[in-house]
Amino acid sequence: MNHPFLQALETIYPPDRLLTRDVELLPYESDGLTAFQSKPGAVVLPIDEAEIIATVRLCHEHTVPFLARGSGTSLSGGSLPIPDGLVIALNRLNRIKRIDPQQRIAVVEPGVINLHITEAAQPYNLYYAPDPSSQSICTIGGNIAFNSGGAHCLKYGMTSNHVLGMKVVLADGAVTQFGSESIEGVGIGPDLIGLFVGSEGLFGIALEITLRLMPQPELYRTVLAAYNDLGAAGDAVSLVVASGLLPGAIEIMDRLAIKAAEASVKAGYPDAEALLIVELEGEALQVEAEFAQLQDLIQTSGAFEMRVARSEEERARIWKGRKGAFSAVGRLSPDFIVQDGVVPRGRLGEALMAIDKLKTKYGLDVANVFHAGDGNLHPLILYDGREAGALERAEALAGEILALCVSLGGSITGEHGIGMEKRDYLPTMFSEEEIDIMQALRRAIDPNEIANRGKMFPGGDAPALKQQGLHPLERQGVISRE
Amino acid sequence: MTPTAIATSAELSDFLRENERVHVQGNGSKTALHSANGAALADLKALSGVLEYEPSEYTITIGAGTPVSHVSAALAEKGQYLPFDPLLADRATIGGTVAANLSGSRRFRYGGIRDFILGARVVDGLGRAFRVGGKVVKNAAGFDLSKFLVGSLGQYAIMTELTFKVFPDAPRFRSLRLDYPTLPDLLAAISFINQSVFELDALDFAPAAKGWSLMARLAGSSATLPPRIERFSQTLRRESAPSDIVELDETATLWDPLAELTGGTVVKVVLPPRQIPEFDRSLGETRRRYSIGGNLAWLATADLAALHTSLRQMGLPGLCLLGAVESAPIGAPLENELAARVKSVLDPLAKLV
Ligand SMILES: Cc1cc2nc3c(=O)[nH]c(=O)nc-3n(C[C@H](O)[C@H](O)[C@H](O)COP(=O)(O)OP(=O)(O)OC[C@H]3O[C@@H](n4cnc5c(N)ncnc54)[C@H](O)[C@@H]3O)c2cc1C
Repeated sequence: MNHPFLQALETIYPPDRLLTRDVELLPYESDGLTAFQSKPGAVVLPIDEAEIIATVRLCHEHTVPFLARGSGTSLSGGSLPIPDGLVIALNRLNRIKRIDPQQRIAVVEPGVINLHITEAAQPYNLYYAPDPSSQSICTIGGNIAFNSGGAHCLKYGMTSNHVLGMKVVLADGAVTQFGSESIEGVGIGPDLIGLFVGSEGLFGIALEITLRLMPQPELYRTVLAAYNDLGAAGDAVSLVVASGLLPGAIEIMDRLAIKAAEASVKAGYPDAEALLIVELEGEALQVEAEFAQLQDLIQTSGAFEMRVARSEEERARIWKGRKGAFSAVGRLSPDFIVQDGVVPRGRLGEALMAIDKLKTKYGLDVANVFHAGDGNLHPLILYDGREAGALERAEALAGEILALCVSLGGSITGEHGIGMEKRDYLPTMFSEEEIDIMQALRRAIDPNEIANRGKMFPGGDAPALKQQGLHPLERQGVISRE
Repeated sequence: MTPTAIATSAELSDFLRENERVHVQGNGSKTALHSANGAALADLKALSGVLEYEPSEYTITIGAGTPVSHVSAALAEKGQYLPFDPLLADRATIGGTVAANLSGSRRFRYGGIRDFILGARVVDGLGRAFRVGGKVVKNAAGFDLSKFLVGSLGQYAIMTELTFKVFPDAPRFRSLRLDYPTLPDLLAAISFINQSVFELDALDFAPAAKGWSLMARLAGSSATLPPRIERFSQTLRRESAPSDIVELDETATLWDPLAELTGGTVVKVVLPPRQIPEFDRSLGETRRRYSIGGNLAWLATADLAALHTSLRQMGLPGLCLLGAVESAPIGAPLENELAARVKSVLDPLAKLV
């Protein structure tokens, strides 16, 4: 990292918030996609908006690439540092500035942990709806970059649907604000929130975010159904959807995932080829009536066993296995890759059968745990990195799954983003001209291409692959994934 | 100027290449948005029809010139609807609805246009035809320009085809009117509802002959609606002391927020609920209806200049919809640095007006 730039940083940051020694940089070398590692030139720890703005302006002047970093849980290599670039770590901007129960909004800094907002809103019977399973650790800034979702995003949408206003610093140092405290958000003029959310850190840094809070549902009703065949569970999803019910969550786990969840959290799941979880939420009178209808449907769907959560405790048990399944599967294998493709709901069965064939072709195990309600697959490809050629086979299999999702009319990512990992697959979804236009847009905002350089768009040097495994925090059991 | 009828995306590309300045209209139902003097006028009504509809996927793809009423009818056949509740549903095209970002009262339940748009085909100011967003209900690949186009007023790129997420609709509705002596009494009732367990389909209010009226609608099945309405009404009677509660007939215009705003220029104002008291005081005799729980106001004003000034003072943006005006956006300025950057890419010659 060049000297004048570092010297300029020293005018903004005291030594304890400007990290340059190897040992200090180590924790920032990778994110949730642990396969990739690279060394940043320096890390800064701003404590307020003014410091962030000054830093971005400096990066722009000196053409030094930077990465905004939340908690580093990205699963697509989105928060992988740019070699010799600057990491702007936002964890200290973790203030919830305001909860306004009357207007049902929260105004927060970007480094606030997702779950902390719900905790702060709880006294008012409100909550922040998007619930990635990393919610106890991931930040709102990271959620914004990827438009993150969770199991309960079927009805009320992903992150983008819950952001009403933001203040951002663009990659060239311009500061701008859009949206409002109205649930209409931007409301008049182009929806800039919609554009910024999901831009994977390529446009700039979100400095302050106004979020919509939702009233806590009066009642949840959860059913767990067991099937002898994964296809039948997929068909049950279509049945539920066709019935006109609008559940808050519809999730599926396959045999390997069930086995792993059992081994790790002992959820007491039935021994089955597939488990389906459907949850209704809302006003008690309505939910009770719909739940009766749902149970009738599941009865006719060929489930060999059906369990109904009769208490909050039983509900928590059903979800515990599901929420912990991914990390549990991870523990079955030294290394793994998670994919995040989407297929039209009606083609779930087809997709799962094709993945099954690919398993045999590549001689690798794949576990499936996914957001069935919106067709968002999360196949987990297990392999042993010590075995020669295993990683390459796993990557080839992952690539075939992405191609499959696109050919079925879906997407290569539902919520984890393109990041570093899938940038070479962007052309499977968009034409050359479409990618050119996106790149032109990026350059109009960031002429030096310094914000999160090397992500999303194809090309560029890939950093060295190491191994694929659990996020360090998962190994410690702090977080788990879906 | 007589509009040129455009029947395909390729024709639109040619039209954009051939003309210096271009203004687009669907059915021209938002009269205040079509004052683009001297620009060549493109009429997109012929880009019409339901192109793909998969009820089991909750997705629909339609030509931008399709009348909203056709879309709603196609969905209703399968028991589904556009949850953002397009405004001016009897007259508007779907493309115009998105470009102007006009949602109706039922938007209160699940969200606005930006929450339900999944993707689009567009032609930009350089005549380039391309796709933005996707066709599945969940997609995080690439920049989401489809959401950006919501509210973009035809000034960045022209939508030729749109894909939306849709939801199953409720079979039954019931609506109540709750009367309050003053605006603060009514706002206190909304505050209570906002933190309660009641999930309303719509929540609007307006000044009445005496005091203020809150209109609330519940949606559900015929079996559960009566006890839910009963419970809502009893709870509100207890918690907010309305002077009266009356059940309203579900007429065609009950939940059309513009139904009673005839005469004068009709304006949309985006409004944080906390600013309502100050805002309302500034309105004088202006006719108005507050929608989506007081996050939006619809006005019919006889004095646009005065409204413009007071909106500007309060930092609120407004958009004129119906009437003859010089500039549709009023109040707080819309100029934005990020929007300007997008304009420089999609319409560098500033053809689209
Ligand atoms: C165990 C586990 C479970 C997970 N489960 C889910 C899940 O259920 N659903 C889901 O969607 N994802 C999930 N994820 C992925 C990940 O948690 C999300 O992508 C999350 O939003 C990342 O947040 P973060 O704070 O860790 O961001 P980081 O990883 O630090 O950063 C991610 C991206 O955000 C950008 N960024 C960070 N802050 C800002 C800011 N202020 N402004 C602009 N850009 C910014 C970064 O530059 C980077 O590109 C999971 C990950 C793990 C490890």
